[in-house]
Order: sequence, then C-alpha cells, then structure tokens
Amino acid sequence: MFKKSIYTSFIVLMTIFVLVVAVQSCKKKSLEGMIVMSQCKGDIENPDYLSGSRWRNIPESRIVALHTDAPDQPLYKLTEGFYSACAPKISYDGNSMLFVAQQSENDIWQIWEMDLTNRKTRQITSSEGNCIDPDYLPGDRMVFSKQEIINVATKEKGYTLYTCNLDGSNLARITYDPSTYFASTVLNDGRVVAIGRTLIPEVKDAMLMIMRPDGTKQQLFYQSEANHHLQGRVWEMDESSIVFVEGDADNEKDITSISYNRPLHSKVNLTSQIKGDFYAISPYQENMVLASYRSDKEGHFALYGFNTQSHELGTPIYKDGEYHVLEAVPVVKRDRPKKLPSEVDLNVKTALLVCQDINYSYMQTNDSTTAVNKASRLEILGMDETMATFKTEEDGSFYIKVQADTPFRMQTLDGNDNVVKGPSSWLYLRPNERRGCIGCHENRELVPQNAQPLAVRKDPIPVPSPKEIDSLKRDLKM
Amino acid sequence: MKNAKRKTLLWMLILFGFIIYFPGRMLARHHVNYKTAVTDHPLKCTSCHVYTSKNKFVTSLINEDYYSPFNIAVSHDGSRLYVVAQDTDELLIVDTESNSVLHQIKVGVHPHSVILNKANTLAYVSNQWSDNISVIDLAVSKVTDTIKTGNGPSGLTISADGSYLQVVNTYGSDLSVIDLSTKEELKRLRTGSDPTGTALSPDGERLYVTSRRSKIVPYGEPLVSDLTEINGTTLRVSEHHNIEEAYMMENIAFTPSGDLAMMTLIRPKNLIPSVQVEGGWMMTHGIGVIEQGANGRIIQLLTDEPNSYYSDPFDIVVSPDGKRAYVSNSGADRVTVISVDSIRAILKETPKEKLKNIANNLGVSSRFVIKRVPTGANPKGLALSEDGKKLYIAEQLEDKIGVLDTESLQMEAPIDLGGPSRITVARQGRRLFNNAGHTFQKQYACYTCHPDHHEDGLVYNMAGKDMGRNVTNTQSLREIGDTPPFKWNGKNQTIYKQDGMRFSTVLTRTEQFSYDDLDAITAYIKRGIKYPPNLMYNPHGKLTESQLRGKEIYNRTKDNFGNVIPENNRCYTCHPAPLYSNLKAADVSTLAVTDDSILFDTPHLGNIYASPPYLHDGRAATLEEIWTVYGEDNKHGFVNDLTKMQLNDLIDYLKSLGGPEQEENSTQIQETASF
Repeated sequence: MFKKSIYTSFIVLMTIFVLVVAVQSCKKKSLEGMIVMSQCKGDIENPDYLSGSRWRNIPESRIVALHTDAPDQPLYKLTEGFYSACAPKISYDGNSMLFVAQQSENDIWQIWEMDLTNRKTRQITSSEGNCIDPDYLPGDRMVFSKQEIINVATKEKGYTLYTCNLDGSNLARITYDPSTYFASTVLNDGRVVAIGRTLIPEVKDAMLMIMRPDGTKQQLFYQSEANHHLQGRVWEMDESSIVFVEGDADNEKDITSISYNRPLHSKVNLTSQIKGDFYAISPYQENMVLASYRSDKEGHFALYGFNTQSHELGTPIYKDGEYHVLEAVPVVKRDRPKKLPSEVDLNVKTALLVCQDINYSYMQTNDSTTAVNKASRLEILGMDETMATFKTEEDGSFYIKVQADTPFRMQTLDGNDNVVKGPSSWLYLRPNERRGCIGCHENRELVPQNAQPLAVRKDPIPVPSPKEIDSLKRDLKM
Repeated sequence: MKNAKRKTLLWMLILFGFIIYFPGRMLARHHVNYKTAVTDHPLKCTSCHVYTSKNKFVTSLINEDYYSPFNIAVSHDGSRLYVVAQDTDELLIVDTESNSVLHQIKVGVHPHSVILNKANTLAYVSNQWSDNISVIDLAVSKVTDTIKTGNGPSGLTISADGSYLQVVNTYGSDLSVIDLSTKEELKRLRTGSDPTGTALSPDGERLYVTSRRSKIVPYGEPLVSDLTEINGTTLRVSEHHNIEEAYMMENIAFTPSGDLAMMTLIRPKNLIPSVQVEGGWMMTHGIGVIEQGANGRIIQLLTDEPNSYYSDPFDIVVSPDGKRAYVSNSGADRVTVISVDSIRAILKETPKEKLKNIANNLGVSSRFVIKRVPTGANPKGLALSEDGKKLYIAEQLEDKIGVLDTESLQMEAPIDLGGPSRITVARQGRRLFNNAGHTFQKQYACYTCHPDHHEDGLVYNMAGKDMGRNVTNTQSLREIGDTPPFKWNGKNQTIYKQDGMRFSTVLTRTEQFSYDDLDAITAYIKRGIKYPPNLMYNPHGKLTESQLRGKEIYNRTKDNFGNVIPENNRCYTCHPAPLYSNLKAADVSTLAVTDDSILFDTPHLGNIYASPPYLHDGRAATLEEIWTVYGEDNKHGFVNDLTKMQLNDLIDYLKSLGGPEQEENSTQIQETASF
C-alpha cells in the first residue's frame, strides 16, 4: 500500500514534469540577440516630410528578423498578416516590439505591439487618424504621433504627440501648438524628443523639440542648419552622445552626432567622408550603430555596422537585392529611462508663466547710458488675435496666468506699441504647469540671474482664453 | 480520541494563526500607509524599526565604522599620503608604493584638514569638533602636541617663512594665526561667514580665505559672499571682496606663477520661483577666478553644461606647470579637469561689463573643461604629487583614495584604506544624500542645500501655489529625525513622506527614490546626523552667569511684574528639553501674506546659534530680531516686559543649547541666577 502510493506520486510528478517541458518547448524562442528591421520593395524617394507619407509610414513595408550569427539564413517574417508594417521599437526588457501597421491597403495606420517570445500581436490604437512613430515610456506607457486637424480654419492636418497605456487606455494629448511632430524618442533622462515643425502662420524648418512626457517644459533641443532636414529618430548612445541621420541641402544624408550635454553647439558630421546615403541608425554595440546605407542612389539600402568613434563603415551585415533595409534595431535589453513625475493637474484649467526680463540680452552691457530701444509692454498673440497686452514691471519681468493647452506667441512692445522683438515661436502650457523664462534671449544656454522678479510680488496677470475673448466681444457687441 | 484532540488543537492553531495574520497584516498595512503616505511601500518592519534604531546593541550589529577620508596631503617625494579619516578621528599614513596604510594616528574630534611643514617632518591636523590642532611628529608617527584654536578649525596654511600656522575657524568665522615657535594663538582675524578654504600666494604676500555662507540680507536682496584678503606679511585683513550671487566657496588655490587664484563656488537660484529645474533654475556650480596684479577682476565661470550639472564642487588644485586645475565635484562623483590657459584666454577677451553675463552661461565650460573623470563616491579633498603626475582624491564615501594619472587622465587602481567592504543601509543613505543623481540632470544633491547636513543659510522661493509665495528658510537636518512633523507647515509626518513622491514632483523633478533608497536615506537622516558639540557657547558643559539668568527667563512662569504668563506663552512649553520642540504646530504671529498655512511647526533649538537667519521665512537676521523686531504682540513667547539685559541673557542661553547628547552629558550646576 505504502509502496503503491509512492509509485503513484512518482507517476503524477513525472507526468506534470513532462507536460511542463512539452508546453515550454511549444513556446517559440525569444528573438533576443537578433536584429529586427523594416524593409520595403517600393519607392522611398521623395518622402513627404510634412505629411510623413513614405517617410514615417512606408506603404507595403514589412518587419523581419535577422539572425546575426547566420545572416545567410532566411529572414523571420514577423508581420506576414499585414499589408504594411514599419517603425519597430523594442521594449526595455527586450521581450516586446511596438510597430505601426496597416492590415489592408487603405487602412488607417495604427500602432501594434508584438510579444517577441511568441510573435502574438495586438492592436493598441484604434484611431480615425494615422498613429505612427511609437516609443516605449516607463510605466507601461508609450508616446506616439497621431494625425489630427491642426488648423481648424484650413482643415490642415498634422501630427500631435500623445501618450497612452500599452493597452490603449488613458490616452493623453501632450502637444497643443500648431506644429507637427514625428519620430518621438524617449531619452534616458525621461524626456521625449521629437522632430517638430511649425505649420502656422507659415511652415518652418523642422527641429528637435524636447519635453517631459506630460508635455510640460517643452523647449528647443537641436536646430538644423537652413535647408537641412532631420531624417529619422534620434538615439542615445551613452550618457552624452546622441546620433541621428540628417540630410543636407543637396539631400545627402549623413550621420550626425550631438552631445546630450550641449546639443545646440556640438554637432559633428560623422560620415562626411563616406560617399552615399544613410537612411536610419540605431545603437548596436559599444561605439557601434546599425546603419541602413547605400553607396549610390540607384541601389538598395543595406544593413551595415558603423563605428561612431573611428567613423568607419564595416562590411554589410545584410543586403537584399529586392528590398531596402529601413530601420533596424537589435533585440536587446536596455536601461529603462527615468520615470518623471508629472505636475499636470487636469482639474486646473490654467498655467503660470514668469519671465525675468523681456529686455534681457546676453550681449547687453551694464552701461545704463547706452541708448537702446527698450520694451515696456508685452502682447500675447493667439491663433487669430491678440489675447492680451499689458505693461511689464520696471525690471522687465512679467507673470501671467494663461489658459492651459492654448497656444500663444509673445512680442515685446515699446511705449508707443511698436514691436521691439517678436513674435516668438509658439508656446503652450499644460494644466497646472508653471514655467519660467529669462527673457527674449538669443543665447539658449543662459541660466537666470539670481534675482527676484518684481512681477511675482503681485498676482499673475490673467490672459483670457480665445473663447473668453469671443464672449467678451459678444457682450460688447463688437 | 487522542488523535481527535490533536487535530482539534491543530485546527485551532491554524485558525488562531489566520486571525492573527490577516488583521495583523491589515493593521501593519494601515500603519505603513500612514507612515509613508503611500499604499504600496513594502511591509518590511526592518525599514523603520531596525535601520533607524538608536539601540546600541542593534546599531552595533547593523552599522560599520568607516574611515570617510576627507582631505589629503602628499609628501615631497610622493612616497606617503596623509589622509584625514573624518569618521574615525584619525590621520592615516599611507605608503604609495605598497598602497597600504602604515599608521593610524588618533587625533582630535572630527578632523578636517592636514598640512605638512616644509621639511615634511611635522603634520598639522585641524580638529573641527574639538577646536584644536594635532601636531604629529612624522618621524615617530605620534601626536606630540595640541594647539588651541578658534571654533571649528578647518583650512590650514603655513606662512612663507614657516613661522605661522594660519587656521580657518569655520564656526567662529575667523582665522587664527598661530605662532609655531610658541604654539600660541597670536591673533584672530575676522573673515566671511562659515569659512573653510584658504590659500597663500606663492610669494607669501597674499592670503585668501573663502566663506561658504553668504552675508545675511533681507529676502529679495542680492546674494553676496565674502572673500577675505589678508596681507601675508603684516597679517592684517587688507580687503573683504564681495562675491556676488555665489556661496559655498569651499576651497581656493593659486597658480604656481601667482597670476590667478581659483576657488570653487555654487551659484544658487534661491530668489527665483522654484518652478523648474531645466535651464539651471535651481542650482549652478562653477569656479571663481581672481586675477592678481593691476586688474584684480573676479570672474565666475560655470563648470556645468546646458543639460548636465556637476554639483557641489569642493576642492581645487593647480598643476605645478600652472596649465591645469582639477576640481572635485562631490555630488557628481567626478573630477573636472580644467585648462587654465583657456581661462586666461577667456579673461583676456572678456570686458568687465560682460563678467556678470558670462557667469550665467552654461556653454562657456566647453571652452575650458578638458575632461570629466569618474571617481568613487563623494570625492572631497585633492592632492597633487610634487611632480604633478598623480592626483590623489579622497573618496569620502568609498573609503578609498582615487588615483588619477594626470598624463593619460585615466584612473588607476584606487588605494583601499581597509575600511568595511559592506555598505550598510545608513551608509547607502549617506551616499544618496550626498549624490545629485536623484535630481533632474543631477543639478543638486540634498547636501547642496544642506551642507554638512545642516542648512545653507538661504531662504528659497518654493512657489507653493503661486510663484511669489512660500518663501522658506532652509532648516538644519542635524538630529532632525526625532522631531516630526517635518517641513515648516508640519505636513509631513515622517521622513518617508517628506522624501517621497511629492518631493520628487516639486523638488527633485525626476524619478522618485526607490523604496529601498527611501529606506536608506530615511535611516541616514534619522540616525546619522549629529550636532557638532557647541564649543562656542557651551565649551565646558557649564553655563555662564548670563546663560544661567537666561535659563531662568526661559523657564519662567511669571513676568517681571509678577503676573502669571499663560502656559502656552512660555518658552519651555513649545520648546521643552531635550529636543527643544514640543513637535506641535503653533501660531507665533509670523504668518506673511505670501504664506499658505496658518500654523508653523515648532523647530528644535539645538545649536540654534549656527542657523541664522531665523523664523520660517528667514526674516529675522539674528535671534534678537525675533523679539525686538518681530515679537511685538508677545505671541512668540512673552518677552515684551524683558529689559535689554534680560533679553541678552535669554539669547546667551539659547546660544548655549546643543543637541540631546549635550543635554544628557551636561554637568550644569543649577544655580539660582541673580538679576
């Protein structure tokens, strides 16, 4: 009896063990160590940098996985059920991949996530406008660009930045200015950097804008030279170096490196000595990026390794006579960026802005006898009209309470209401955000002087929202 | 039957276990939720009840005795290092060949600096918490003499002819000139506030003393700190230079040619609403360069970069060829290598009227910073070998001496001083406290506003609801662990809450501490920060007559006219010994229109003499002003009947207060004071 029970227990345990092993062996192996890349056969010339078409979303593209140990082996086709799929981004644990895809030819582009351990996919967004360029945010969220009407009057469309949970819930818009944003990337410091381009009143050159994941504290991060264009996502190599592909006035696309510590004044063209074009890059190994490159415009982009220290391009890792290699990313674990706290409170409808001195200039002298055209008033410009005009304090400071999520520009005026400087670029503040600026400065590397602005000794000047202005006009029958 | 009983007993035990476990766990959850102000802090009893324990047996089990090297000197031939081990009160003599500690010499309490005489036969160690200098005969490696100094001796220099030892007295804010032939103090010279650094020009003609705290001015007025210039021959103060917008000038060094003196400094932004960290809106760090000769300009340059800050610059040394300077950034675990020639070029091309603006430019550092070299935790004092080939770095919280090859600018293997290899929870907390890694872009550490775990003497615009509101005087963290609640408004019942989520939202503006880190920093703040002994106003544990009279006033129940003072208006009611706080909030009639709350937390009064300015918004420059200027309505204690002499006595007594340890060890004789 005793022996039989032991025997029975042994059989049961062995059965469980065999079943577990069987289930485990049925699971597909992780793609860790492989390279995931998007490819396309078709035309990638003449991308539309305004709409993102054939640039951020490539029709008939696909995502495949490449064995780095055996690049001659057939590629794993990861997105066979999709008409188009591109823009892969790997999660911090290396187990999942975000990508954008169309299931059929005329579908809206949506964001999907693939479990790289079993290749199962699930749709995250279900939007009426294209959703593209996703990147993982800490805390099981993502940031992406969503197509919307930017200018209600002209119905002009652009892309605004959103964040949401990885199940698509808790959707939050984070940019509110009349600009279009692409190719967002989350930096190690937790902020989001994206290619931004102002659309109103006229289309301006694209630049890299940086902000916290709640949209607060948005500021310029990097500005290309005139007629240059930013080709794709930026990538952080280590603590201080950021790389991306940038096209020049002749549409030659090179790899640019900037320092995180001083992005506005540290540009280095890493591939100026290499003839040909780069399409996209991503960090691979120490001092090495994966680069899609072609030596002449007639050929296909192939996959190379590029050493960012020696500036040497290696031999092709993978090339295909039929397909371009577009964006390639290694499936590896990486450090999670900082999860930044948010000051946004959606119950608050306003935000505060303080400026130290509207007349501040880095080049100004302390000589009070110098005759300069000093501003003494400030005009807040909305999309269509002036939102407020007021006198600044004696020290040039002002302190205003603006409607949150409402774009505005500023220009300084002299005592006769002549414009001294401006208008500025578009600004918006998130609900409950509090922001400071030192003045209408040309040098963006200045920190404020340690002086209490006179303006904060008083209550903030309220700037009415456009709706309030309309209501006021109706009341006055203007 | 027996089996049935056993089974019943077993079931009862299980049931009892369940009854204990589930409600017990629920109660523990409620308790931890209240203490931490979050609902997901792990239920680890050890966090609060072991790591923060003051029980001697418990602390002996969980803590370690670290050396904490603070400053270094190196012998002429480079064969010996003399390392100040601040936490063990020792001078360690290290052989640089074998990288081993040869001797451990017990010195005074809390040693600060070490300097060697020209012949390298004697070492002088300043003992900051025992107000003296240990003289060590290096031939026998023994303390052979002790010299009395002023209060809180720190930085040291020896006159060009070797006759005088000049000792900076941090707590006394002065400089003792010691005649080395008699070992007596010759004179004492007034310096700026809270000085530590000093340097003598190569020709011996000029001596500088840097101060760390700024001058006390009403909130809103420009921040100014003192750089004292002393004639090296006459030993008289020749000038007090105003260093604008800067403080925490820890150390200073001359170039070998004597054309420049360079000091470390911090440029705080306490007058600006603290609404963001981006763009250097909270703290910036750099150096001050003092041109010698006719020009005599003082220029400030930031060593930070637009997106990266190098907090808490501490020591600075200049290479023998005068071409490089090295700065230890204690909060960033870096040594910044600077091209002095590039600084000379900047000086040459910068007109005087642009000096103010260049001091606020984060881009300028790219012109003169050669490299940022990673070091061990919390680099403090630096020493260059005489040939300039090796830079030795006191890595205070690593218990090691870092060694930098100055030719390759690569770190070599560090010298292990042989301290404990285990990092205790409190030690980890101290590392976190001193490191800026937990603020956005590493702009500041806890230490930055709480230097020496105290306070920086500044009043900050914390911009509560609106930007001009909530002007807040920084509080000392010494022995603060037993005086909850925290913050001036008393809204944080524990340090867990104080340093939790909201702390990261409004102050550090980056990811909050992990719970392990939060446990560690709480353990350190609650148990690791001691008051220096109050040797300035209570050197022997016996009160002076004036202080005794003041104590009577402090404890009085009736006013000068014999009227009973209401209990809630007596000093001791709200400030009872030994903590000198009743841990409650009170209205002392100091609410300003820019304040949000009505009541203020009652602060502890230990070492209160060292914490000007006073009151929650720092409006009182001195203790006297609390009552002579801001106490007209008798709501902050009943005082308006006091004579000037009586108020002086009360202030004398308040200044004598120390920490709970002083209270326990006090041998004060309770005499009746006579007025």
